[in-house]
Amino acid sequence: MTDQTGDEDDIMIRAEGVTRAFGKNRVLKGVDLAIRRGESRVVIGGSGSGKSVLIKCLIGLIPADGGRIVIDGIPLSHATRSEVMRRVGMLFQGGALFDSLPVWENVAFRLLRGEDERVDRARARAIAIEKLARVGLGPETADLYPAELSGGMQKRVGLARAIAHAPSIIFFDEPTTGLDPIMAGVINRLIRSIVSETGATAVTITHDMVSVRTIADRVSMLHEGVIRWTGPVERLDDPGDPYVAQFVRGAPDGPIRVEGAA
Amino acid sequence: MNPLAAIGRSTLAFLAGTGRIAIFGSRGVAALFRPPFYWREFLRAFLFIGYYSLPVVGLTAIFTGGALALQTYAGGARFNGEQIVPSIVAIGIVRELGPVLGGLMVAGRVASAIAAEIGTMKVTEQIDALVTLSTSPLKYLVAPRLVAATLALPLLVAVADILGIFGGWMVSITRLDFNSAVYLRNTVDFLENGDVISGLVKAAVFGFIIALMGCYQGMHSGRGASGVGRATTLAVVTASVLILATNYILTEFFFSV
Ligand SMILES: Nc1ncnc2c1ncn2[C@@H]1O[C@H](COP(=O)(O)OP(=O)(O)O)[C@@H](O)[C@H]1O
Ligand SMILES: [Mg+2]
Repeated sequence: MTDQTGDEDDIMIRAEGVTRAFGKNRVLKGVDLAIRRGESRVVIGGSGSGKSVLIKCLIGLIPADGGRIVIDGIPLSHATRSEVMRRVGMLFQGGALFDSLPVWENVAFRLLRGEDERVDRARARAIAIEKLARVGLGPETADLYPAELSGGMQKRVGLARAIAHAPSIIFFDEPTTGLDPIMAGVINRLIRSIVSETGATAVTITHDMVSVRTIADRVSMLHEGVIRWTGPVERLDDPGDPYVAQFVRGAPDGPIRVEGAA
Repeated sequence: MNPLAAIGRSTLAFLAGTGRIAIFGSRGVAALFRPPFYWREFLRAFLFIGYYSLPVVGLTAIFTGGALALQTYAGGARFNGEQIVPSIVAIGIVRELGPVLGGLMVAGRVASAIAAEIGTMKVTEQIDALVTLSTSPLKYLVAPRLVAATLALPLLVAVADILGIFGGWMVSITRLDFNSAVYLRNTVDFLENGDVISGLVKAAVFGFIIALMGCYQGMHSGRGASGVGRATTLAVVTASVLILATNYILTEFFFSV
């Protein structure tokens, strides 16, 4: 099953033949994606399959070696950093909070220090506290430092930071990895509600099948450097592809060979 | 293994590395001239580099001044030239040992700290986060540290000059029977503005090198904790070697003007 093609105006993120290698390690071998405006796409794939590299290529954090990427109608090769980043919010796998800054300055970082639209400190703090509330954190967390927070709280602060400027595209890199199942459920529900509330296009990377079912409209599987399968989330249990089926069931035996499997 | 090939390979690698550092450095300097300038980051770095390096640089200078006085006395005594101690101590500290030893001590302390901080930010994706938050790592992290170190080192070395001369004076009047007033008058009469200025210019250049190597190695840190550890070591080693090499070049320069 391949990605849908559609009216070009309708596509928020398009990738065609994107390649990227690190030395001899060819991580992306020609990735094609077409993600519609307002869609919540989840990309699944094994650890080390290049999911993080892929989303970093999509916004130019890692330059692709080849292929074409178009974001919101602008070819990435012609876009300035700020044109891209104004549209983008990203939740990083480890949170990537700045440990020398209190929580609220993390959330309001772009409003205080970014090169686009800045606001004064009082206004930035008010926005930060509002965004913290949106992710379920009270104003008492505003003046804590990242090191004082639990993993789940760090993820939430990262989430608040990613949505602080109302981006039209939000990337989530393994939002539930390292969290207990309940906290993972909380984060999944937050992501789902934020995405539907803001109407933003969302791209989530995960190998947590609960996340996939909570968050996704459509699912793509990255395997051996290409998008092997794309389909609606309802098709996951009957994907018609043995690789996807094995991944979804978490079966040790199947076409996907894993090192160390008997 | 062909030894010539190995030599050729490392020469090429050395030149490529030098080129990359030069490009990185010029982009860091260019970032200074495009707003915004991050004053808070600058002040934080300035305080860390300038103020908190005072004890280590000061102690280094005092002990070096004292040892230099003894050595100069030992040498001078061989041709009845003991009275040369104040001038040699002053020149030696101000023109050479203050900036070089100060630079090396600060390299050990600051280049490593900068590389570790930025390297950790790199491996924990904080550098990526900065970019997605419409902030340039060159402007936010590199430029303020370059300025801070370039300004802080001359101030530190000025303090080191005074303390080094003080160390020499202490040893001379307690151990070598110098008259305090005569010693000090000798020092002041003998030192020229050029001596002080050349030492402070050296210090500024060394400060730039220290911050540059810390930032460069941190930004190019490999992945994981081992990557950061390696970046930290590389920052100190490359900064120290560059300081010594640049010191020779600058000394030649000041020697001929
Ligand atoms: N900066 C880098 N330098 C070298 N190799 C990298 C780099 N980033 C990722 N890789 C390699 O790319 C592959 C995919 O990594 P990644 O995208 O992080 O996987 P994941 O799917 O788990 O997110 C891995 O083999 C990794 O070693
Ligand atoms: Mg990843």
